[in-house]
Amino acid sequence: MKEIVCVRLENEMDLILAHKRAMRLAELSGLSLITQTSIATAISEIARCAIEYGKNAELRLDIDLTPQKRFLKAVISDSIDFTPRCKDALHYAERLVSSVQVQSTPKGTMITLKHKLNASTPLTEATLTSFADYFKLEPPLSPYDELRRKNLLLQQLAEKLMEKEKDFRLLTDSLPLMMFSSNSRGQITYSNKWVLDFLGVAPKEINGIGWKAFIHPDEFVNFSRNLNDGIAKQIPATGQYRLKEKSTGNYLWHIVSLFPIKNEKSEITLWIGFLVDINAQRTIGQTLRDNDILKGVQEKLFENEGELREKIVELNRSNYELEQFAHLASHDLQEPLRKMFFYSDSLLRKYSIHLDEPGRKLIRSMRMAAGRMKDLIRDLLSYSQLQQQKILFEEVDMNEMFQKVFEELELVIQEKNAVIQKENFPSIHGNQIRLHQLFVNLVGNALKYSKPETPPVIMITSTVSSKTITINVRDNGIGFDEKYKEQIFDLFERLHTKDQFPGTGIGLSVCKKIAELHHGQISATSELGSYSEFEVILPLEQNIEP
Amino acid sequence: MNKILNLEKYCLMSFPILVVDDDTEDHMIIQEYFEDANYKDSIKFVMNGLEAINYLESEKQGVLPRLIIMDLNMPIMNGTQTLVTIKRDAELKNIPVIIYSTSENETEKRKTLSLGALDYVVKPLSFEEGAKVVSKFLSYLERN
Repeated sequence: MKEIVCVRLENEMDLILAHKRAMRLAELSGLSLITQTSIATAISEIARCAIEYGKNAELRLDIDLTPQKRFLKAVISDSIDFTPRCKDALHYAERLVSSVQVQSTPKGTMITLKHKLNASTPLTEATLTSFADYFKLEPPLSPYDELRRKNLLLQQLAEKLMEKEKDFRLLTDSLPLMMFSSNSRGQITYSNKWVLDFLGVAPKEINGIGWKAFIHPDEFVNFSRNLNDGIAKQIPATGQYRLKEKSTGNYLWHIVSLFPIKNEKSEITLWIGFLVDINAQRTIGQTLRDNDILKGVQEKLFENEGELREKIVELNRSNYELEQFAHLASHDLQEPLRKMFFYSDSLLRKYSIHLDEPGRKLIRSMRMAAGRMKDLIRDLLSYSQLQQQKILFEEVDMNEMFQKVFEELELVIQEKNAVIQKENFPSIHGNQIRLHQLFVNLVGNALKYSKPETPPVIMITSTVSSKTITINVRDNGIGFDEKYKEQIFDLFERLHTKDQFPGTGIGLSVCKKIAELHHGQISATSELGSYSEFEVILPLEQNIEP
Repeated sequence: MNKILNLEKYCLMSFPILVVDDDTEDHMIIQEYFEDANYKDSIKFVMNGLEAINYLESEKQGVLPRLIIMDLNMPIMNGTQTLVTIKRDAELKNIPVIIYSTSENETEKRKTLSLGALDYVVKPLSFEEGAKVVSKFLSYLERN
């Protein structure tokens, strides 16, 4: 506890001297330039106060060599207490040196600043004596010299600081994460290169704009809440939010972490923030989840496809069997029918002399019934054959087809004195035989359902569009109630009795089936007692793959 | 030599006919048609193609029929198979074969005609029709 050097604190010059000596002693004690500056500044601040507000202040510098407790000590004492006017200086000093103590006694006030010395520096009583000697032999103060020296020092310090800052910047810029620091008021004071690159703005601008501009609207509420929570509870705040990348405008997922840095008094002086890009992981996470769902769907699809294929095979087989059945049934049914015809015929031929007219009528009725059965079988067979799997399409000359239809119906046409008007038709892609069947039925019906004393007039017209042809078969016959216009295409539907008009009720269902096989449609309109019109819409072309 | 003998034997409306059909009722019906046409000679009835071939083989030494009326749907050996067999045989191929069937199928008709059948007749529903057909064939055979 030796006083190494002393300085009276009266004027500006003394201040310079105090600073200089404090620096020198700190240097001699083996402290770094920055520490020297800190100590000297702390001492200067208090000294300045003492000079301004004190009466007869004095600074004493020495070194405390108590083992385990080596300090550089500066004591500023005065007969009066100027400390009330020194609050800022004291606070400032507290940040610069290890400890600041204020002692007020009746004799005056004593402010003791202490700073820990490096344990490694060899210091003995002898060393201290040499320090004291040094100061004794110190040349007197020249203000000019002093200022110059101070300036040089400042420059050195500034350079050192810049270097440190450069090092710091280099480090933080090379870290692959965005870093920034903000003060306790939330204003950003430092940010590394990545922040700038990503957000596209300087830290000052962020302070002006606020975080809201950079965080995804969906997450901003959470972000504010977490941040405020952290600030209030003085704990770190971490969360995952989407930040907007300036260059692309895309929102990318980041972890935003804010850590408070507290000083010796546990007050938060600084917040350090880290922003880590986790967009890839989150996207992968989502993609993996989506992938799993997709896989599930795909598997289900596979299953369904398999089931579907099985069903199609099943259906085809069933269809084939049905067709076989219909074919066989009709064939087998035809044989007894034929016998019925023959025997009833024989009966009439050979035994008519033994029969009276009612008797002969009975036989004739039997023959007519057999005839109806024959028509039914024929039409059923026709209908069942339409279930075939493969229907072959070719180019069909519609004019030629209609000619054949008229030829087949020639007898009836002549019998009824029917007039048929037909436009010219283009060729279409279809099945010749089936189309013939369709129109034989339609024209046949037009002839059949004519008014008793009126010769049938049948008009066959068409309209062609880019993809389809619409064919209309219109007659001047008895017509039908339009409420049945859909029913008539049902199998076995008849609007008349067999006594009124012959028919099996299969014809129009065959027409409908054929239209559908051609991927077309058929419909009917009518006015009872006036006309009937059947409209068939067929595509001009059939695709190879149905 | 046999053939010359056979030819001498033939006179108007008198030549053997072979009917191949598994329906015995049809045998009777056909019999009636021919009776109506004043046909006097014998009609041989067999039940299927195999019987027909066997009969024809045996008659190669005797008197071969001058007309074969054959149904298509028969057990053991159907009409088509029999037709082909007959047309392959040097001695039998010139006998006219008329296919007499219930089926109105165009494809069937075309096929049998292309295999060498003289004609394809759908089994008629009235006596009148049947008789007409039979007399038509008889007069054809007469001319040839």
